[in-house]
Amino acid sequence: MTTMTRRQLLKAGATAGAVLGAPAILRAQSKEPIPIGALSPLTGAGGSYGPDMQRAVTAVVERINKAGGIYGRPITLFLEDDQTNAEAGVRAARKLIDVNKVVAIVATWASAVTLAVKPLCVESKTFLIGVSGADSVTQGDHKGYVARTQPNTNLQGRMYGKFAATKKEWKRVAYVALQTPYAVSFGDAFTGVVKAAGATITDNFIYEDKKPSYRSEVTRVLGTNPDLIMLEGYTPDSVVMAKDLYKAGYKGAILAPTFAINAKFIEGAGAEVAEGIWNMDRAPLFGSPAYKEFQAAVPGGDQAPYAPQAWDQMSLVALSLVAGKGEVSGTVIKDNLRAVSNPPGTAVYSFADGAKAIQAGTKINYEGASGSCDFDQIGDILSAPFSVQQVRKGKSEPVAIINP
Amino acid sequence: MPPIAQYVFNGLVTGGILALPAVAFSLLWRLLRFPNFAVSTYLTVGAYLALALNHGLHAPIGLAWLGALAGTGAVALAVDRIAFRPMRDRRPFSLAIASIGVAFVLENVVRFIWSNDFRSYDIPVTRAMSVAGLRIGRDQLLILGVAIVLMALAQMYLFRTRLGIAMRATADNPLLAAVKGVPTERVVAVATLGGGALAGGAGVFLGLDASIDPLMGAGLIISVFAAAILGGVGSAPGALFGALIVGTVEEVGTILIPPTYKSAIGFAIIIVVLLIRPTGLAGARA
Repeated sequence: MTTMTRRQLLKAGATAGAVLGAPAILRAQSKEPIPIGALSPLTGAGGSYGPDMQRAVTAVVERINKAGGIYGRPITLFLEDDQTNAEAGVRAARKLIDVNKVVAIVATWASAVTLAVKPLCVESKTFLIGVSGADSVTQGDHKGYVARTQPNTNLQGRMYGKFAATKKEWKRVAYVALQTPYAVSFGDAFTGVVKAAGATITDNFIYEDKKPSYRSEVTRVLGTNPDLIMLEGYTPDSVVMAKDLYKAGYKGAILAPTFAINAKFIEGAGAEVAEGIWNMDRAPLFGSPAYKEFQAAVPGGDQAPYAPQAWDQMSLVALSLVAGKGEVSGTVIKDNLRAVSNPPGTAVYSFADGAKAIQAGTKINYEGASGSCDFDQIGDILSAPFSVQQVRKGKSEPVAIINP
Repeated sequence: MPPIAQYVFNGLVTGGILALPAVAFSLLWRLLRFPNFAVSTYLTVGAYLALALNHGLHAPIGLAWLGALAGTGAVALAVDRIAFRPMRDRRPFSLAIASIGVAFVLENVVRFIWSNDFRSYDIPVTRAMSVAGLRIGRDQLLILGVAIVLMALAQMYLFRTRLGIAMRATADNPLLAAVKGVPTERVVAVATLGGGALAGGAGVFLGLDASIDPLMGAGLIISVFAAAILGGVGSAPGALFGALIVGTVEEVGTILIPPTYKSAIGFAIIIVVLLIRPTGLAGARA
């Protein structure tokens, strides 16, 4: 029998110790915080929405950490401003991924930003979930690392069209859109539904951002005598466009997304110009318990449909990590997203209830503040209700809910 | 199909707004021998100064406009003292780059004070009048009228006053002018003050016509540059006509090409002028 050298003995002992002590070591590591990023527009055209979205994400993270985190690991949240600008968004995302080592980026808003950040996330296996509508956000081979809680542009365009078709007096319809990644696909879906309902599309064009005036665009579209102008822009350009339409004497109807026709729009364009403008956006799930909890946690966050979505995004990311049984990565999140969000399963309305159910071995179906949050293969949500508002005396008043 | 005259009128109003910074840009270029890209940011500064007067002190817009003229002139003068005067002897290229830096700084000072949100002046929006089938807005007529009057005043100043003539002399040959006893630094100061005032006034017009945001002036730089090149660098009437042509072509162009390509028109004008007549419409001299 050969004798063991001291060095061999030490090695063997260390190996044995490592094997025996493995759970302890895991437990020791498990206090390490989980980094997650929220990349939203705090300035620029989306600057009205990002702050509320980040407040919602922060509120969810506070709740998770108070409830003991994810298997004892707290979440560290990194908040970044994308300035509603793709270039600034990429810089911020690089910092989140390379420096903060986040496993997920939540609460992106503008499609241009989400599209620019997407390749970085897919490449680094970071999960990305936002509220951007452009179809291309979930198209292409993103290996499941991308999802969104906002209906895709095609669904949005069809819902706007469906509403426009309910107004029989809108026989001549023009589509005028700001140059964005979704302008064409939205227009195709919208005009398709409107035409099928028997109305005429009188004009259809895309305009440039940051022009001193849109008088000639307005001259062109008014030359076609529309009853309804579908104006698909952001707030700053929509103000100029609406003012120019008003000055030019347009008396017909305007339909626009609610994210453009917000309080800033009414303030900028003036109540008189804004009067009567119809606007639509996806509605949150007003009656749901998750929405009530959201409202209590994020006072004033219910002005737009994005903060409830950000609330759900953070909750879903955390629940997916819980379903990953303690393993932490973007891959775990994307692999478990549909398991926690889609039916079948016990409906849960918050992270705390969901996490408890998962640990008890129950299959869950998260029902959020923004909707039922059920995702298809490419990461799009399957359905969402839409609300219609009209500006009356300087305030957007709810008029109807349109279901798919 | 709306009448083409409507597009032409729209273009003239856009051109009228462009003309003020274009003249300032063109004259300062000739005088100081570098393109001062900060001129377009003076528009932003002017618009926000008037906003401060209009919202903060409830000054009527006319008074706010005068305040913006004076205030932006003063800002331009201060910028010249701090940024450009120490570099007077450097190559034009260095100064042009410095002017881009100045534009960034001014833009972010505006952001710091007034935030990134867009704003509007406290004035009612009025429907346009219909004149012979044309839709003509009251604001637009006013803008066009005031722009033309300002241009005429600038022209008279350059040709009828001692300092104006000295300015043209310095623009033509700074060394000779200095030898002949022209107070070069005073000429530069007055031109900077005047140029800043013109640009600041245009900024208020732009804010009246559209809306006010920190990037409003920067978005115009290509059109201003095109107008100055087209008119011939250093010529005030050249820059005026250049601006009117650029404005009109940009607007009338939307009949033929999709509005998405509006910005391309400015670039196209620059390229064509540089290829065919590099000295511009007014030739080489003022």
